[in-house]
Amino acid sequence: MLVNSYSKRVFNLAYQFAGSYQEAEDLTQDIFLKLYGVLPRYDFDRNFTAWLLTLAKNHLIDTYRRTKWEKSHRDEFDEHFPASEAAHSPESGLMQEADRKLIWEGLNRLSAETRMAVILRDIQDKSYEEVAEIMSLPLGTVKSRINRGRLQLAKILKDRKEDAHEM
Amino acid sequence: MRCERIEELLSAFLEGELGPEEKALVEGHLESCPDCSSLLGILRRAQQALSGFPEVEVSPSLWGRLVAIPERKNKFSLTLDFFLKPSLQPVFAAGAIFMTLLSFYLFNPDKKAIDRTIDQKIHTGYSQVEKLYSQAGSITDRLGDTANNIIVSVKDWKIFGGNEDNPL
Repeated sequence: MLVNSYSKRVFNLAYQFAGSYQEAEDLTQDIFLKLYGVLPRYDFDRNFTAWLLTLAKNHLIDTYRRTKWEKSHRDEFDEHFPASEAAHSPESGLMQEADRKLIWEGLNRLSAETRMAVILRDIQDKSYEEVAEIMSLPLGTVKSRINRGRLQLAKILKDRKEDAHEM
Repeated sequence: MRCERIEELLSAFLEGELGPEEKALVEGHLESCPDCSSLLGILRRAQQALSGFPEVEVSPSLWGRLVAIPERKNKFSLTLDFFLKPSLQPVFAAGAIFMTLLSFYLFNPDKKAIDRTIDQKIHTGYSQVEKLYSQAGSITDRLGDTANNIIVSVKDWKIFGGNEDNPL
């Protein structure tokens, strides 16, 4: 059953992209509605997961462009994410958890395409080739977008760190 | 090499994807540039933070909504299929044309003038039909008379026992 196999993956992608739990639930429902509508047109030569994630990506980016979520705030990091085990280990784990919070907030500063590419590659752990297939972009473009996104996130971490030192 | 160029290569450097030449260039620059070296450290931290991102579970309410979709979709698509039948397309086209013309009539500022013209046309048409009908009636009468004359003439033929020389 499609819901069993793919709902968590699609929902997590929607949540990581949109940053709002409520919004992600509605988006996931919309994506599944679309999926059932276009399922008869699925080309069996294509990888199903990549095909579904392309559908999800298109819907998320289209909706983002229509509604511009960047004006709205993302949920608090702790609100829905379970505390990871790393958080219980000493210093390095705590630092990583703090970095995650900053990155979670910083994701909205990336453009829709860059954010999606970074999420697919670094959070969802897809290969560059898979990201290129899902995003229907050349490999070189995907690599440069991901690099740009990572640098932006790294600079957000750097700025926050400097702010913290100044205070 | 400029820092901007090095920044473009840092991701690939971290992932070990650079060729030996570019790798040596980046390493050389990092040794002499504390800013880029610090950025590399932060980039590594960012990547580590991203790679261990926790996942959220799908709530029971969303699960219920997702499971219900195929059933809803089937009901909806049955109704939709009926309206999308190709045989209904001329009907929809005719309906659209009719509604367009009707809207031109209903929302026209000279509606009264149009009504008057329509009335005149109807009356003219009706009187023309009446004329034609009365003309058709007189033709029938004349045809009847002609037919009677023909019958009387034929009866007077010798082969039917009449007297052609003296019909009366």
